[in-house]
Amino acid sequence: MTDIVKPLLPRSFIAFVSRNLIIILSIFGFSGSVVAHFQMLYTPETAFTRGQATQFSMVFTHPVHGGPHMDMDPPEQFYVVSQRGGDAKPKRTDLLKYVKPVDWLPNHQVNTKQVAEDGLQNSTKAFSASLPRSVIRSLGDHIFVLQPAPYYESGEDKYIQQFTRTMINVGGVPGNWAEPMGLPAEIQAYNKPYANWTGGVFRGRVLADGKPVPHAEIEIEFINHKPDQENNRFAAAGEVELPQDAYGTQTIYADDQGQFTIGLPRAGWWGICALAVGADTEHEGKPLSQDGVLWVQVKDMK
Amino acid sequence: MKYQCQRSSAVLSAALCLAFSAYGHSPVCNCYNDEEDNSKVVCEGGFSDGGSAEGVAVRVLDDRDRILINDVMNADSTFTFTKPDADFHVIYDAGPSHQVVIYMDDIE
Repeated sequence: MTDIVKPLLPRSFIAFVSRNLIIILSIFGFSGSVVAHFQMLYTPETAFTRGQATQFSMVFTHPVHGGPHMDMDPPEQFYVVSQRGGDAKPKRTDLLKYVKPVDWLPNHQVNTKQVAEDGLQNSTKAFSASLPRSVIRSLGDHIFVLQPAPYYESGEDKYIQQFTRTMINVGGVPGNWAEPMGLPAEIQAYNKPYANWTGGVFRGRVLADGKPVPHAEIEIEFINHKPDQENNRFAAAGEVELPQDAYGTQTIYADDQGQFTIGLPRAGWWGICALAVGADTEHEGKPLSQDGVLWVQVKDMK
Repeated sequence: MKYQCQRSSAVLSAALCLAFSAYGHSPVCNCYNDEEDNSKVVCEGGFSDGGSAEGVAVRVLDDRDRILINDVMNADSTFTFTKPDADFHVIYDAGPSHQVVIYMDDIE
């Protein structure tokens, strides 16, 4: 392709396109077929021996490529449901008061001079929540739920709203990790999302309002560019080189009970997203995709 | 024997406040300062299989292993006590080889 356009376009433009191919594809509406949108609800550690202060980063992005990121509006809900032991009552705590806007930088921002020259590498609107120790102090499971505002994806002329869950455990005492929460779109965990070895499998079930969704389409992505919460950006270099785009976003379908199994071939974070399973299909006159996202942390056996 | 168990538990759990055993369920206990009343300590008990700690014995002892408080975990699997004036430690006693010791210095 480069050979064809070379005589017609300046070398600097070709270089610019090469550097920003993903962003340009996104702008021109190819993002849906090339990379998957994932609402991140990231924190570095999910299995604590004792409770501690925790920071969450909320970025709407394409994690396997480290971008491009999409501007988020203020979340509609952010809360935690905690439960210590299987027989205890779950306790819900609203956390919206901790949510603050942040400018999330593109991972290309390593070379700031280049960014200034290009002029295209703007930061995107994301959110952060620094939670005090009192929120994650008790033994048991703490299930964090982020309900973002619907995001308008111009490339597909539709809205996307991803109900996102990340689970933290303190002390190894289990709680409500496997319990459905009745969200509009949800992935019920059949494995503890905070306790997975590399090479294991993760099982789950796709639910909408608590009911299984047969044959739901599911996308899986690895956080290939390590998040840098201090500087609100991802690492410029990915951990894994993708042979081809189909490797970046793994697509599977649930069975007739809405159940699925995936492999966990690498330590780190894996996002699982069930597409368009929610009952609401329209927002402000446009199609709406209500997705359910669950994040799974994987560790090496050392 | 009790002393040995306490010491070995302390070595195993150190700051983690956990005790491990060959059983399928391990006792877990965590104590922290009550944020609403700093004169008090809250201890939470549980098991690695999610079982309730209601009725599990819990004792507060001084540095000579003299029992200051002898009680049990409540229906919420918690136990709250007023900090003694002297150095103390807490034993969460779920039976033989199922004891967790938490020292005062590990309570935040």
